[in-house]
Amino acid sequence: MSDHDDHHAPQPWGPHDWHHGAPHNSFSPLFLSMGVAISLFGLAAAWDYGTYNPGHIPTILLGLLVVGFSMFIWWRQDISFDGHYDPISTGTPFRGIQVRKVATWVFLMSEMMVFTSLFSTYMRYRLGIENCGTVFERGMFDPVTNPTGWQEGVAVTCFEPASHLIASSWWHLAPGAVNTFALILSSFTVVQALRYAKMPDLDEEARRKKVYRYLASTWCLAVLFLTLKMVEWFVGFYVPEISFIGLHEHDIVSLVDEGYTINADHYQHHSYIDEATGAHMVANIQVSASLFYVTTGTHGAHVAGGIIGLTYMTFKAWKGLYTPANAVSIEYFGLYWHFVDLIWVLVFPFFYLY
Amino acid sequence: MERKTLVTRSMVALILISIAMVVSPAVNSLPTGVGGTGIQSSGCNCHSAVPTATVDITVDGLPEEYNASETYTVTVSFSGGPVESGINSGGFNLWASGGEFSVLDATVESRAPAEVTHTEAGNDYRTWTVEWIAPSHGRDVDFIVHVNSVNGDGANSGDEWNRYDLTVAGSLGPGLDPADPFTVLATLIIISGLLLTITILYGFYRTNPDVFDWEHLAPWIADWLTTTDHKKIGTLYFVQGLFFLGVGGILAMMIRLQLAGPDMGFISQDQYNSFFTLHGTTMIFLAAMPLINGFANWIVPLQIGAPDLALPRINALSFWLQPFAALLIFTGVFSGQGADTGWTGYAPYIVSTGAHTGVTMWVAGQIMLVASSTLTGINFLTTMAVMRAEGMGWMQMPLFTWSILVANLMLFLSIPAFGVGLIQVYLDRTISTAFYDIAAGGDPLLWSHLFWYFGHPEVYVVIVPAFGVISEVLATSARRSIFGYKSMVLAMAGIGIVAFIVYGHHMFTSGMSPNLRFITMLTTMLVAVPTGVKIFNWLKTLHGGSLVYRTHTLWALGFLVTFTLGGISGMFFPSITMDAHLHETYFVVAHFHYVLVGGTVFGFFAAIYYWYPKMTGRMLDEKLGTLHFLTAFVTYNGIFWPMHRLGVIGMPRRTHTYFITTEDFTALPEWAADWNMFISVCAFLFFFSNFILVANMLISLVRGQKAPADPWGGWSFEWMTASPPPTPSFDWNNLPVLKDANEHIANEPSAIGRWFNRLMVPEDQEEVSH
Amino acid sequence: MAHYKILGKDPYWMNFYGLMLLTLIEVAAVGLDLSDFAASYDTTEKVVTLWILTIIAIPKFIMIAAIFMHLYGDADSKILTLTALFPAFFIIIMVLFIGLTHPDATTGLPDWCRPGTYGL
Repeated sequence: MSDHDDHHAPQPWGPHDWHHGAPHNSFSPLFLSMGVAISLFGLAAAWDYGTYNPGHIPTILLGLLVVGFSMFIWWRQDISFDGHYDPISTGTPFRGIQVRKVATWVFLMSEMMVFTSLFSTYMRYRLGIENCGTVFERGMFDPVTNPTGWQEGVAVTCFEPASHLIASSWWHLAPGAVNTFALILSSFTVVQALRYAKMPDLDEEARRKKVYRYLASTWCLAVLFLTLKMVEWFVGFYVPEISFIGLHEHDIVSLVDEGYTINADHYQHHSYIDEATGAHMVANIQVSASLFYVTTGTHGAHVAGGIIGLTYMTFKAWKGLYTPANAVSIEYFGLYWHFVDLIWVLVFPFFYLY
Repeated sequence: MERKTLVTRSMVALILISIAMVVSPAVNSLPTGVGGTGIQSSGCNCHSAVPTATVDITVDGLPEEYNASETYTVTVSFSGGPVESGINSGGFNLWASGGEFSVLDATVESRAPAEVTHTEAGNDYRTWTVEWIAPSHGRDVDFIVHVNSVNGDGANSGDEWNRYDLTVAGSLGPGLDPADPFTVLATLIIISGLLLTITILYGFYRTNPDVFDWEHLAPWIADWLTTTDHKKIGTLYFVQGLFFLGVGGILAMMIRLQLAGPDMGFISQDQYNSFFTLHGTTMIFLAAMPLINGFANWIVPLQIGAPDLALPRINALSFWLQPFAALLIFTGVFSGQGADTGWTGYAPYIVSTGAHTGVTMWVAGQIMLVASSTLTGINFLTTMAVMRAEGMGWMQMPLFTWSILVANLMLFLSIPAFGVGLIQVYLDRTISTAFYDIAAGGDPLLWSHLFWYFGHPEVYVVIVPAFGVISEVLATSARRSIFGYKSMVLAMAGIGIVAFIVYGHHMFTSGMSPNLRFITMLTTMLVAVPTGVKIFNWLKTLHGGSLVYRTHTLWALGFLVTFTLGGISGMFFPSITMDAHLHETYFVVAHFHYVLVGGTVFGFFAAIYYWYPKMTGRMLDEKLGTLHFLTAFVTYNGIFWPMHRLGVIGMPRRTHTYFITTEDFTALPEWAADWNMFISVCAFLFFFSNFILVANMLISLVRGQKAPADPWGGWSFEWMTASPPPTPSFDWNNLPVLKDANEHIANEPSAIGRWFNRLMVPEDQEEVSH
Repeated sequence: MAHYKILGKDPYWMNFYGLMLLTLIEVAAVGLDLSDFAASYDTTEKVVTLWILTIIAIPKFIMIAAIFMHLYGDADSKILTLTALFPAFFIIIMVLFIGLTHPDATTGLPDWCRPGTYGL
């Protein structure tokens, strides 16, 4: 069909003319797929059952670079979007709603199933594998009196929830708790950004500033979330001596440094010591640790994805390109962002507290 | 008079079927087992882990160089090992790469024409004699002898064994090396790729024969690479789907070559694992799904009167994820390290270090396919929910659109489970998390659950669009509207919901929760109800209509037969006890090929013949089409019908070979080999018959008659645009309106329907009506 | 956008305050020593904590969905709520079939499944 009546020159690299309405060519999907494939290939080549092969790190970086390039094309085409072309639903029951809003909700349906799968995995293992605390309370092994007890040096396979470490003290819980507040606050800032972008009686500069600042603070809160997560997982932090509020100087050790890792087949919690004999109970907790890191990590990946989107949106807001006509774009992102918040509402109690 | 003949014929057919039903199960059902080639590679390791050098093997009676077809008396004996006890003192296995053994006495029995072993009686000896009839080809023949030196205590401890290899020269020297299956596969795929490239270039040449140069080719290709037009992306899906249908077919042909005779040496078990894994993955994910998406992309927006899909760029992304995923899935195949887990990828094997390294890449590719399917699902569901033309309610949507709606709903709600499982496996294999590590308490059954939670809806995802196609084709061919439109829609929706609660029937023998087993047994039987409704509606459509026999009609009628047969064979599996017997046999293979090839592929062939004029503006050749139907239909049944019987007698699937003797516990009766040869011949005929379709498509593209807008007399929206349709398919500012669709909504909504309507009408609408 | 007020105030701010409050209660429930309270109900502290956490998660969930995600008070709220609830059936199935079953075929056979019982 070389003779189609499309007078609009296709601009697969550059900004779209959104007034045209017809399909727009784009190189972005091609490069995005290519980049994802290269990254996954590199990732699989760089790690083999925990053996690290740094020679393939450049492959991963190349893949991410291609993905980044494709995102750049995508946004370059999108930044000219001023709300002129925003298809509205014609079919019942969605008549009158923006098509992309419906699409966002449909997308969230599949996201619900993603997290349901993760939570089903969690439930299956949490209920199917004995809790380490229960095993410890049964006491030490004795062939006559306690045949089901644990033995010094023999790893017990059991479920050790991360909350055993995290909820053991206020300080250990602090990063997670602050993160909860950060996410709720960022949900709120997104909604505020939407409200000011939509406000019709605001002058342009005031709108630009409000929207830009609210989106930027959302971005900062999201970055804070991931930073605290890294602190909690890998880094740990230091509590200074402030005597008048009763603080004592001590280090809060990260989860990984406490030995709570996906390879922990001889994990020992500091409370798993038999008081009478001084014997340690060691446990194989690889399954529970994998569950914790992958489930919270999947949520973290969603936050990271949100940060990538927010970066573009903050830039667009800084340029003052959000108007009441295209402010719904912020709402589409907001729906995703609130959903990530919702998931945290479930992840936080079940992985950090319980 | 007429009626009487009909009754007589029906009676004869019924009697024949009854006889067949009585005769078929009258063979002994044998438990499945492994073949004898394990001995060749790992030895008699039940007697001891490693061979013992002091067990000294002597083979007498073989010449330095044999004469063709001459008979030699061969004596196998050994010394050493435990002291001879007189009873149970030794055993042997003699294998030759050519010729035939004939048994002389009761101490020896034949496992295969060129393999002998000791009998129960022969167990008491340490010397055995057998006749070897040399082959006629004159090439060198290899012999492998294993002996067990047994101490006779009835247990395996203290026993020893050894292996001895020798070669008897032939007059023509060493034999030809058997072809390396990977070389064959690579060559065939490269040839297919070259043919595809030539076809694409020819396609470009046809667009404008005057300018065939790089300056015009580059933008033409760039346009295809960057397109977001639903019709062009649909065409891209077709190119990908048909190419991989060919690749999957090549894999199937190589598998059938290996299985044509017993004990063939073309593909080893290790390579075979890789081959059937890729065959399944390619056919389901890289051939069937793209073909569905191809039709969905082309037809759905046209049928609902939308200018394009809701999210055109996301649509392009869904497509482009697929070829790159295919690259990852095929990574490592040609070096012999391709994925070897089966398309189900069962844990814990999939995370074990014993699995090929290519499995990681296979998982990575599957993750990309999951992403692609999710995006497709979002896109189509949104499109169908929001972009229907004015006047087209849910119950006025054409049935093909409905089928795509149900399929995508199932797909995108179930595929996250698979995606999460894949990510868990991917992380297990890379950074060594422990989701499926049994030593750490991981539960391999969890993978089966996550996989089949997706996997069962997935098999309906590939069949339901075929239902839609058949509904369109039969209604148009019978020149009437479909019988029972509403029940068709409800049946499809019912299948969509039931799909999620039946998946446990894939895991009856896995040791999962007995309660769940019981529930899924009942729900699986329930599937027959909506499917039966559909079949009877189609029959009733034919009954009330006046049928026009076009090629697509033939395929649709063929679909009715084969799909019903596949459905009937499927009804054996929900019964747990029956399933325990049929599990992992060729009966399963026969069943799912009957529904996937006889259902999905036949449905798509019908769709190709039906919509090709709309897509290209050219008519297909009906003569070639009929020829294609006749050859393919006959040979297809020749492939898969005998498999039922092979399955009932216990021929195991996923095993690279089988053995024929009447004595061996693991072996099949001799006629099984004949049926396998028959199946292989039919398979090749079926494979080549599909070239008629390819040729038809290419020839018609150039020379076919110009197609009118509505060549078949269909009445859905797609027939009201030109052939091929313009871009955008409908004018954004002048969208079509469905004015009279009363034939589909003869009935008022029921009480539940009214309640549902009230919920679903937006508020502003309600205010207007007040 | 919200066309309503909560207690006469801006709904987003009120929602934000409410969420903060509920989260504080959650953190407190973990930090406080509830063992005596648990003992009076003949259960363990962990169970009590779990109940508090689950019960608080529900209003938090609803508050975010209804107010921040505009599933309450907008023209399209009703239909979008239905859309969001659509996967409920499939979620329940997955939790029941995958989350709450065990591979206990050998040890956990129910009575009616054992030899000798089906004869009645």
